[in-house]
Amino acid sequence: MTSGALTAMVAIVAVVGGPRGGYAATGQSAQLQAVQADPVYGCVVCHADMRRAFVEGIHSERGIACHDCHGGDPAALETAAAHTGDYVGTPDKIGIVQLCGSCHSDPDRMRQYGLQVGQVAEFRTSRHGQLLLGERNTDAPTCTSCHDAHTILTPDNARSRVHPTNISGTCAGCHQDESLMAKYGLSTDQFDLYRASAHGVGLFERKNFASPSCVGCHGSHAAMPPQVTEIANVCGQCHVLVRKAFDAGPHGAAARAGDLPGCTACHSNHETERVAPDAVAETCVECHDPDSRAAQLGVEAEELIVDAERDLHAADEAIEELVAAGWQVSDLRFRYQTALTDYLQIAEFQHGLDVERVGDLSRRVGSISRDIRATAEGSAERTWEHKLLLIPVWFLTLSAIVMGWFKLRRLKE
Amino acid sequence: MASVIDRTREVVSRWRRRFRADLKASTDASFLTAPRFLGLLYGPIDRSLPIDEALRKALARRLPAHVGWRHALGGIAYLLFMVLVVTGVLLSLHYRPSSGEAYGSIQHIVTGVTFGWLVRDVHVWSATLIVIVVLAHMARVFFDGAYKPPRETSWLIGLLLLFVVLAFGASGYLLPWDQWAYWTVTEFLDTAEKLPVLGGVIVTALTGDAFVSGATLSRFFAIHVIILPWIAFALLLFHFRMIRTHGVAPPRGATGSEALGDPFFPHHLLRLFLVSVVVLAVVITLATLFPRPIGEPASSVAPPSELVSTWVVIDVTLAMVRFFGPWGITLFALLGLAMALIPLFDRHPERRHRPVIVLGIVFFAGFLVLWLVGHQLRFAAPDVRSVTPAEVGEPPEAGSPLRELGPSPVQPGPAESGGSQ
Repeated sequence: MTSGALTAMVAIVAVVGGPRGGYAATGQSAQLQAVQADPVYGCVVCHADMRRAFVEGIHSERGIACHDCHGGDPAALETAAAHTGDYVGTPDKIGIVQLCGSCHSDPDRMRQYGLQVGQVAEFRTSRHGQLLLGERNTDAPTCTSCHDAHTILTPDNARSRVHPTNISGTCAGCHQDESLMAKYGLSTDQFDLYRASAHGVGLFERKNFASPSCVGCHGSHAAMPPQVTEIANVCGQCHVLVRKAFDAGPHGAAARAGDLPGCTACHSNHETERVAPDAVAETCVECHDPDSRAAQLGVEAEELIVDAERDLHAADEAIEELVAAGWQVSDLRFRYQTALTDYLQIAEFQHGLDVERVGDLSRRVGSISRDIRATAEGSAERTWEHKLLLIPVWFLTLSAIVMGWFKLRRLKE
Repeated sequence: MASVIDRTREVVSRWRRRFRADLKASTDASFLTAPRFLGLLYGPIDRSLPIDEALRKALARRLPAHVGWRHALGGIAYLLFMVLVVTGVLLSLHYRPSSGEAYGSIQHIVTGVTFGWLVRDVHVWSATLIVIVVLAHMARVFFDGAYKPPRETSWLIGLLLLFVVLAFGASGYLLPWDQWAYWTVTEFLDTAEKLPVLGGVIVTALTGDAFVSGATLSRFFAIHVIILPWIAFALLLFHFRMIRTHGVAPPRGATGSEALGDPFFPHHLLRLFLVSVVVLAVVITLATLFPRPIGEPASSVAPPSELVSTWVVIDVTLAMVRFFGPWGITLFALLGLAMALIPLFDRHPERRHRPVIVLGIVFFAGFLVLWLVGHQLRFAAPDVRSVTPAEVGEPPEAGSPLRELGPSPVQPGPAESGGSQ
């Protein structure tokens, strides 16, 4: 039956049968209208809810239809006729991987969309893939667990479950399930720790999409915890200069040898703890003897970093004072940015244990801060000078009061 | 020829006689010596318009014996108004009413113009003090029962002047175009928009845009320096005229005509001078010791972490908005309306009618309480509509979806052989 004939038939049923006969009699006139609007699609007669979800997704935009994944005869209006032939229904988790991969692993199909084709291959190497495809363990997620089955949205869509701000919540959907994680000896506090970490604050509060979510460190389709010797490399993908300095320093060699768990030794993993400037020496003695040269270096570095941070804060406060007093501060803000850059650079050399360079940068921060504070002090001095105006004002006022008072008394007399 | 010379001589001689007479009159020891001496033209003008005589009559007018220091409040309010006019004109020489230049021009006034800091802060402090003085003046009139007939028109005009003063402050509050000004105005406009019927219309007309922007700044500036001054001067003229017509209200319990006291000049003028000197000294002192700080430049996308209120009315309004929402303002406005309409209803012969006194105490004490409460909130964070987590795509809790995306992901299970029908 051609689509035109089908349309004609449905229209006749709807008009002639009216409210008494056919599908209309079963209260499905709305669905019939949907079929009329989309004549080749018998699926929506029963699965209108799925259609509503599906049309919001990218597959619908690209012209992919129900039968492309589920098979069957979309032109049929009855279940038995529709669910025939290559009909696959709802595939199981492994079937979903195969089904998605049938297109997404095909370079000829994906080329036009600029999409990579390695997702299934990557998934196979991930811990999730090892469990699902290797051990047939259906606790592991499949494609639709993260991407949804019907409303499949691109990662740049803010509603997508794999959008940078949502992906960690999506991971946490399983990784916060205590009963599920207990089976694999995994903790469930990663998401809470991550939310409070520098990365979590950067992403959720500052809306900095450059801040990594779960997939930033673990990978997405190839999700796997990094090995001890890999940690510095993972962090170094973003913290390039710090990694370079770290690798060049004594700690880098220890990490490569597997004697030190890389960055996490001082910063932990999910909570990515910031070592406070006044806690540097304390952190060093967690591993080093307090009387050792290494611990002494930590004390020296701490003093320099604390000085730089204090100077930076003082410069910031001085600028705030100048703003409140009405001064143009764009030049000073530019200088402050220079000091801030120097301060941030300290971290680089601190990781290479280059205390001499840390000292140079700390002194530069101090020098800029002194200049800014001197300007603020000049403004404060000017404000103080304004107060001298009150001397003649009140002298004249009191004189006028005294003279006026006497004059009033004389007038009364 | 001789006749022409004679006629010329006669004209010159007549002019010299008049000049001498004017000079003599000008050097007469009186209050008007200086202005008269300065302008020789004054003589001819005075001959046709008897200004001198009118002024002498006005200055010699004797005021009722009970008029004392308490009655100086109205004069102080007028003095502060004139201070605001003068400083406002000076500020307008340097201020630029555009969103790109307003903030920079304020910085220039404060740091680059000689005594610009003083002019600006005197303007700011006068704006606060005038509200307090006008309310004190109003309270004096209210509790004296001086609003009763035949002075009810003066009372109504006085109340209108109070609203004009408030409108002056409100429209001037946005002009510094810093974060505090911007977000305070935004918060109040957001609240006012919720008022039924006219709220949205008024806010749209005032804002001139979808949010507070350069269009709003232009509107506020025009209201502040063009529209309101005309209204204020017209109302002031009317107010003074009413006072002149009906005189100062007699004291409570007075019967019959009251004895006249001292003449306006020099007694009352001297008192006014002393009060004015003290008020000016106080304003300059406050302006010098407590200059209004300047916030960061206004940004429509990033609310500040805290709002610093710099005007007494903002403190009061902040307290109302935060605790009672738009209805707080409405109720207080209705109370103000009740005060305005009192002369129509309060026909009681007793000058201090108890229910009316209670109403007055509620209004003035309420203002004071709200001021104190609002003063505590003056460093509060702005209460403006912020984006919800769902709008920026952040899940409120771990694992929870932004919102339902339709059916859940398919549940694992064997492939169905039948449909769901």
